[in-house]
Amino acid sequence: MSYENQVAPLMPDPEPDSEPLPAEAAGNRPAAPAKSARLGIPRSWWAWIGSPVALLPFLVLALITGVLLNASALRNFGWSFWSFNYNFLPQTPDQSSWGIGVFVLGTALTAGLAIVFATLLSLALAISVVVYLPSGPSRVLNMLTNLLAGIPSVVYGIWGFVILAPYFGITVEPTLRAFLFWLPGFGGPASEIGSWGILLAVFLLTIMIIPLTTALMRSALQSVPRDLVDSAVALGATRWEVTRRVRFRVARRGLSSAILLGLGRALGESVAVAMVIGGVTSIPVSLYSASTSLPSFIFFQLDSAFTYPDLLVLLVEFALVLLIITMVVNIVAQRLTQTELATATTVGTLLSEEGELER
Amino acid sequence: MSAESVPNPNGVALRVRHLSVRARDRAILTDISIDIPDKEVTAVIGPSGCGKTTFIRSLNRMTETTHGLTVQGSVLYRGQEEIYSPSVAPVLVRQRIGMVFQRPTVFPISVYENVAFGLRLEHQPEDRIEQEVEYSLVRAGVWEEVKKDLDRPALSLSGGQQQRICIARALAVRPRILLMDEPTASLDPVSTQRVEATLEELSREISIVMVTHSIAQAARASTRTAYFYQGRLIEEGPTEELFERPKQELTEEYVTGRFG
Amino acid sequence: MTAGAEGRGEQATTLTYASVSGRTRRRLVFDRLIPWLLPLAFVAVLFPLFDMIFWVAQKAVPTFTLATLTETQVGFGGGLYSMILGTLILIAIGTAIATGIGIAAGFYTAEYAPPAVASFGRLAGNILAGVPAIVLGYFGYYLLVLYTNWGFTTLAGGIVLGIFMVPYVYRTTDVALTGVPPTQREAALAMGARPRQYLLRIAFPIALPTILTGIFFAMALGLGEAAPIVYTAGWSSTPITGLMQPTSFLTGAIWLFYDLPPSEGTLLTLAFQAAFLLILIVLALNVIVQLLSDRYRRRLQGLFE
Repeated sequence: MSYENQVAPLMPDPEPDSEPLPAEAAGNRPAAPAKSARLGIPRSWWAWIGSPVALLPFLVLALITGVLLNASALRNFGWSFWSFNYNFLPQTPDQSSWGIGVFVLGTALTAGLAIVFATLLSLALAISVVVYLPSGPSRVLNMLTNLLAGIPSVVYGIWGFVILAPYFGITVEPTLRAFLFWLPGFGGPASEIGSWGILLAVFLLTIMIIPLTTALMRSALQSVPRDLVDSAVALGATRWEVTRRVRFRVARRGLSSAILLGLGRALGESVAVAMVIGGVTSIPVSLYSASTSLPSFIFFQLDSAFTYPDLLVLLVEFALVLLIITMVVNIVAQRLTQTELATATTVGTLLSEEGELER
Repeated sequence: MSAESVPNPNGVALRVRHLSVRARDRAILTDISIDIPDKEVTAVIGPSGCGKTTFIRSLNRMTETTHGLTVQGSVLYRGQEEIYSPSVAPVLVRQRIGMVFQRPTVFPISVYENVAFGLRLEHQPEDRIEQEVEYSLVRAGVWEEVKKDLDRPALSLSGGQQQRICIARALAVRPRILLMDEPTASLDPVSTQRVEATLEELSREISIVMVTHSIAQAARASTRTAYFYQGRLIEEGPTEELFERPKQELTEEYVTGRFG
Repeated sequence: MTAGAEGRGEQATTLTYASVSGRTRRRLVFDRLIPWLLPLAFVAVLFPLFDMIFWVAQKAVPTFTLATLTETQVGFGGGLYSMILGTLILIAIGTAIATGIGIAAGFYTAEYAPPAVASFGRLAGNILAGVPAIVLGYFGYYLLVLYTNWGFTTLAGGIVLGIFMVPYVYRTTDVALTGVPPTQREAALAMGARPRQYLLRIAFPIALPTILTGIFFAMALGLGEAAPIVYTAGWSSTPITGLMQPTSFLTGAIWLFYDLPPSEGTLLTLAFQAAFLLILIVLALNVIVQLLSDRYRRRLQGLFE
């Protein structure tokens, strides 16, 4: 019967090393107290030589951080660095007007709103695939979201800049203003320049992170043991109640981690945002305002930074702040989930599809 | 007991007629007809893969949670109402016919909230929930052990306690019939004994259908036994009779331990 | 129990939908509504996808000829030849680096490293995947453009792209190997296979399709990145002549030409053609990945049951 062995782990065993190995595995080597991860090989020179290889990604990460720290020499960090006042005049360098505030605000606004919309939509997609749709349509939907994941950010950007912006200016924004003027941010004046601004950036970011969050939420929801779902069904819960009260509850760490990883992605997106946000370094007055964000600004400005060493150093510090923010978000996301599958990569998409083997 | 407020005219909890279950092109159950009596423990035994789990899952439409299973035939609740009728709400069926699973399946929430789960679905008032939780835990025979730990996560309890929490959780929605799929398979002998004692208590009020792979358990804890083999019901009757004077050779071979 | 008695007598006589009322009725109605609400999300997500593909195709296809692929952009004319070439070379270098580092690190993490080291490596890999592309670009600019005194070079672009791709290959390799059913390993080792024999003859073939999937996936992402290479590979309109020269690339074409005024519309069209080409490549890679995982699914059907 298919369901009697249903609970075959969808994920690889989180602690493979806890499995006892057959005695033969150790061969006639002397038993050593510490074993390497899987092969059960006594910790010999092999494992020791291997360890640095396993740490290559960490070394790369350390190198990146080190180079940026070295390049910035933390020259501008001070009280004024955190202000909302930004004005870089190369002829009269003035540290006091090199504040990061506007950029952090723009980043937080765009990424924050994007993750709210993306969470709602991808939760709906993930529920549909896991709970409601039969496997055929599920696979089609998965394929389409995977396709969405692969579309380059510059392509989103040019589409947003050329096609969407006029549409937003003529149709979307007046409509929103007419109906949602009572909501903070929705009633303000139009963008100062064209119709590029926060709203468009939020729209693009939402579409861009949905594949990642959907894939991660899907695998989180799929990993809920079938026994628990069945138990709730047997208590007379409807499909929706099972989803809300059991699946969400059991998978809540995985779901939160998906949201955080999506947030991390949105916080770091430079190109597409740079193309549509307008690049204005003043505090936005409405959702239609042109604004800026950390990654898009440093992407935009590097050109001019070639000419002005001061600006380059400042931008490197902005990059460092960005790096630290995304690292924190990612680490928290990793801590939240025990499953090794919840990588910041959308590879989770592909693997969770293979999880259907066991379904 | 409220469960007795409606008289059951024929003393039948479930009347199963010509029940067949297929998984795509494979028959899992073939033409099962059996009466499950009211307020007794009916054991379902048979070698693994004989369809006994599918059988009890088809008694409260849990088969519908598995893709590709088709059910034919009829299951009459209290001998009267067809549970597979299109006008019947599966949610109501499962409220009346509860289920406990092989492994303890407590939710990762507190003991109290676990037992309250089914009541919360109906948004019952809190004082009512509190009463029911206590009463259900008492009926499941685990109240004394957990009354001080109601707010602890249910997963922190022992396996045997967890399983009885699951029984309490199922009882809290006041089912008339409780289906149990090898409820003691993952428990130690002491816990098994406690669960069996609980069953005996419960059978004064509700009907119990229990799948078990342990012949000894069927003999100890049930009043009637049904023997399944390769998707068919081979024999069914009072437990004592079935064990001492089996009518079928297959049954005899199984209960005397010659195979299975 | 008196508390349980109210209403239960009548209610219990029937199980039909018609018999329910009040709270239960609302629950059932709500449950029926949800499946009608969810498709709104499909529309919200898939409509933009199709809209984008439609418009990019609409802007690109009418003037898309063979010359678009084979000619070099000069002034306002020409095609994408040098960008295609540059992208291919960049992605080749990137894939080589990412595959080398990623597979080696993944292998050691999954099979050799002590548990503490392994979990630290995994954490680092995941964080690396979350490092914003533009930060990688700055890193590359500082280390490979300024510090080395190379100036803008294709090699620097390829290396940074490789670093961008590493975590994807690394994590898939690790997950693929960790996912090999333990029974396979136990069987092999019990039969007296040496660990290395097990790795090469059993684990690696089982894991290979997944690893390939990861590599293709990393390539698709790498192809579409602009931020790490704009400031490392620089830009040169002429076709690439050597690894120590700057080069042009498809994503760069979009980034450079997207906001040109309408008077220079041909370059905007070129940008859309680059976008169109990128979508086609991504689509092709998606199909490859899909076929691979289908084959994998079939081949290993019995393994995970």
